[in-house]
Amino acid sequence: MVLPHLDDAYGLARWLTGNGADAEDVVQDACLKALAAMDTAVIEKPRPWLLTIVRNTAFTWLQKNRPKGVLLTDDSEYLEAAGAKARDAAGSNPEEALIAAADEAALEAAIQGLPHLFREVVVMRDINGLSYREIAAAIDAPVGTVMSRLARGRAVLVEKLGRR
Amino acid sequence: MSDPAHDDPRLLLGAALDGELDATGMIEVERRLAADPALAAEYARLRALQGALKTRAPRPSAPEALRARAIAMVQPSRQLKPTTPRRAKPWDAPYRSLAASLVVGVILGAGGYGLVVPQMAQDDVSSAIVAGFVRGRVSGQPVDVATSDRHTVKPWLAGKVPVATTVVDLKTDGFPLVGGRVDVVKNEPVATLIYQRREHQIALSELPDGGGASEPRHETRDGYVLLEWRDSGRRYIAISDLPPAELDAFAAAFRKAAAIEREEPAKP
Repeated sequence: MVLPHLDDAYGLARWLTGNGADAEDVVQDACLKALAAMDTAVIEKPRPWLLTIVRNTAFTWLQKNRPKGVLLTDDSEYLEAAGAKARDAAGSNPEEALIAAADEAALEAAIQGLPHLFREVVVMRDINGLSYREIAAAIDAPVGTVMSRLARGRAVLVEKLGRR
Repeated sequence: MSDPAHDDPRLLLGAALDGELDATGMIEVERRLAADPALAAEYARLRALQGALKTRAPRPSAPEALRARAIAMVQPSRQLKPTTPRRAKPWDAPYRSLAASLVVGVILGAGGYGLVVPQMAQDDVSSAIVAGFVRGRVSGQPVDVATSDRHTVKPWLAGKVPVATTVVDLKTDGFPLVGGRVDVVKNEPVATLIYQRREHQIALSELPDGGGASEPRHETRDGYVLLEWRDSGRRYIAISDLPPAELDAFAAAFRKAAAIEREEPAKP
């Protein structure tokens, strides 16, 4: 159950913690939790299930080790600003080409620069390929919240990558 | 309709991009995009972003040390199971296949083939079959070609494996065909059909085999039931999480249908 998705789990943990060593700790911890839960839980979809455990483990870990890095409530000013900027940018299209050409390092920097709440939904959606419902279950929030965080996270990325 | 997506078109664009909209929603999005060039430009940027993320965002693989620790965590519970094959000792690994083929040769010579199947050669095949089945269940994608039409599955498989595969639909027997896939057993592509029974699945692999017919024989491995038999120069291995009795019923239905199909060549 755990081993086939180890790369996915590590990838997510790495995006969430921002570095490899912490990601290893988180994944190892998550694996222990997963194995302990496996005997009692009915697991229909192992991949989202494991990623949810990784996400929650990472979340707890971040709260303990880097309380300032985790935004627990939506910082509405920040969000509004991001949204407004993205709207201003509407209309021109060379940006589209710039975004499409973004290289690995630029993408990594842009994603790592996202606030935690946006980063986790963007990574779970576009990198881990989870559905809205799966993400909603993982972060224990309504699908509408997933959608708005995703939209705002993407707006920030578009802004960053389109204006290099 | 107080759908939040209507308040913020960007939510709608995101949902369209993520394949989370139904047909009605997509029509709505297409209508809006056509009417609003600024929105269309936004959509193009979001699509470019998603394309870049999907193709080029770093996807680190788990470091070997972590993998090793995870395997070690899983291992203890596995070793409790009696069916786990013994761990290979370092000295016997290179000689394993040689030893296995010697055993096959000796037993063939003794005319005992079919009565005693050499355990080591058997292990490789069964492990591959079990691994294929588990992978199919775990990934939620048990089939490479999903169709209940055997006339679609058969030509698809014909392009992937070197021998013709027997494909019969057993819907009337309560085992509808759901599709096919290619497994790899001992480095050879092997055709595997997937049948459904309630929430359970049965994977049936067809392997080339020189031997004659033999009656179904059970084996249990990692909690799965395997049923193996031989018919007209082919070796069939069915695996499922069904109770053995139902797997027997499946094998009986399959053999009957296969025998009928062999007698009257398939209609186009």
